[in-house]
Amino acid sequence: MSDATANGIADTAAGRKPRRDIGIKKRYAAERRFKAYGIIAIAIGLSFLVMLMWSIFSKGYTAFWQTEIRVPITFSEEVLGTAEQANESQTKLLMANYPQLARDGLVQLLGINPDDKKAVSAANGLISSGTRVALRDIVMNDLSVIGRTEDVWLYASSELDSALKGQYDLSVEESRRPISDLQLQYIQKLQQAGAIEQRFNWGLFTSGASSRAETAGVGVAIIGSLYMMGIVLVLALPIGVAASIYLEEFAPKNRFTDLIEVNINNLAAVPSIVFGLLGLAVFINWFGLPRSAALVGGLVLTLMTLPTIIIATRAALRAVPPSIRAAALGLGASKNQTVFHHVLPLAMPGILTGTIIGLAQALGETAPLLLIGMVAFVADYPSTPLDPSTALPVQIYMWANEAERAFVERTSGAIIILLGFLAIMNVSAILLRRRFERRW
Amino acid sequence: MENIQATLHKGPAVEASRPIKMTSRDVIVHYGAKQALNGITLDIPERQVTALIGPSGCGKSTYLRCLNRMNDTIDSAKVRGQILLDGEDVYAPDIDVVELRARVGMVFQKPNPFPKSIYENVSYGPKIHGLAHNKQELDEIVHTSLRKAGLWREVHDRLDEPGTGLSGGQQQRLCIARAIAVSPEVILMDEPCSALDPIATATVEELIDELRENYTIVIVTHSMQQAARVSQLTAMFHLGDLAEVGPTEKIFSNPDDKRTQDYITGRFG
Repeated sequence: MSDATANGIADTAAGRKPRRDIGIKKRYAAERRFKAYGIIAIAIGLSFLVMLMWSIFSKGYTAFWQTEIRVPITFSEEVLGTAEQANESQTKLLMANYPQLARDGLVQLLGINPDDKKAVSAANGLISSGTRVALRDIVMNDLSVIGRTEDVWLYASSELDSALKGQYDLSVEESRRPISDLQLQYIQKLQQAGAIEQRFNWGLFTSGASSRAETAGVGVAIIGSLYMMGIVLVLALPIGVAASIYLEEFAPKNRFTDLIEVNINNLAAVPSIVFGLLGLAVFINWFGLPRSAALVGGLVLTLMTLPTIIIATRAALRAVPPSIRAAALGLGASKNQTVFHHVLPLAMPGILTGTIIGLAQALGETAPLLLIGMVAFVADYPSTPLDPSTALPVQIYMWANEAERAFVERTSGAIIILLGFLAIMNVSAILLRRRFERRW
Repeated sequence: MENIQATLHKGPAVEASRPIKMTSRDVIVHYGAKQALNGITLDIPERQVTALIGPSGCGKSTYLRCLNRMNDTIDSAKVRGQILLDGEDVYAPDIDVVELRARVGMVFQKPNPFPKSIYENVSYGPKIHGLAHNKQELDEIVHTSLRKAGLWREVHDRLDEPGTGLSGGQQQRLCIARAIAVSPEVILMDEPCSALDPIATATVEELIDELRENYTIVIVTHSMQQAARVSQLTAMFHLGDLAEVGPTEKIFSNPDDKRTQDYITGRFG
């Protein structure tokens, strides 16, 4: 080796170029190969993402439209009782046979003989039996409607909806499809009369759970999820930030704090269903909190989110340059003042980003909620976090178990809504970071 | 060498027998198992500039950081010996480190303004120490400090702009303004010009010379010209020992210690 070096120096001294055997071509080839591997890996990842998105959106976008039929409804006093009676007691109004009103209206619209049982039942199959609630709400809001006839847009049954969206193969023989030939005739008739329309499905956002696809929505689930997000934010952010500040700025570095650190990092990797078991054992069985309540869900998700927030916050605190701490301490600021006046404000963007990412993770979490009974059929809005409620991903899970064609599109539709929320949260995290990021 | 001699002749004359502001006796510092200072005994005269020179790793910054207990922030650092400020032991249990650091301010190697406005940078110290009782008093302190730091003319019309937007030399003078805003008695400077260009360095050196009127200054520097230009007393550190201390003129023209001579003539360090 030393000989070679000596020769090299001698060569240079003699004016000859030293021969460098470093395989330039090989090096560049290796670099190109590595770049190619990277591009292939990214392409594979992207193509899976595109496939996932395409599958969800192509199945789900139809869920945002719902077929409705315009039916002239006669709010007859025979069925509802008179307005005076209604003023006295609402019992009759609540119990009235609203589906009959809808049926009569449709029969009249299609010009069917009311005595033809088969035809009437075929026509009745076109409208959702969820019309009961819709019509009752109209009457309860405005009693003056009693005795009049008005055009009302009613939800079509999910079979009709799916048929119009082309989700059933209508060319197969009649007994093998959910829509009969007679019903097809009626549909044509309605279409010619302009009494059938695809309208934007607000119900998907406002309704709760329902066994009928056309009246099922994620509204109740969204409220449950919002309750839980609120609880997670209120609990996990202060606890997580306080814990991180203590560990990062105040705690002595010894074996005990090392142990805590290792355990926090491990907690972040604990399967979420384990947190569900913990919630069941501690919050429900021991503390006696109600099952299926958003409060318990929020507490469980808080436990799950804490490690994420702590890790993000500690990273953000560590990223604040030590010179800032030295400057404040050198001026005679106490440790506390240094942290709260200088370090924490500078770490805030990182903390908020971590918190939002943690919240997004919690928003999409299903497994722990199943264990604390949030996989429940909840049709009514929870008025407090102690009421039974459900969550967006759990609603998706429940719909995915339904066999009906209309629930398949709604499952994808709900996934789109969930992804929308997650996208909003992640974008706001990025914006926050951009807005407040400082460079030294 | 000639260069330094020339500087010395223009430099301020040493004033004899100044009262002593800070005293240290047998200061020993350990970082974990490593001993960084082997018993430093040094007197720092009042309203003079004392320069600490020496090769890298000789302990001069460590010594400086003992004077306002900034070493407390390092877990592994253990300080023994005695450091007195006006005869009071700064390591005594009843001394509040917050008050000590208000009396003994510090300027760091790299300019480190808070990422806040120029005004907030200077007003922070007075605020936490309760030096101002209303907005006028606070304004007054901020303006005076910026004037004393020679920065007022450059920044008076943009006090709301971030301090980090200033040039390096201005930032360092802002840090000096921030330090003098809390009315310290002693200002410690840890290589305050090492991150500055020659022009900014000259400005800061002039400033240090002016500040000598009112403050006791201890400065760590790697530049012997700087030590010669700004200081009246020079202490030469070597491998954790105090090799020699004396009037700057004497240290640079006729050092007693062989190590000092080797160092200032550039034989090592």
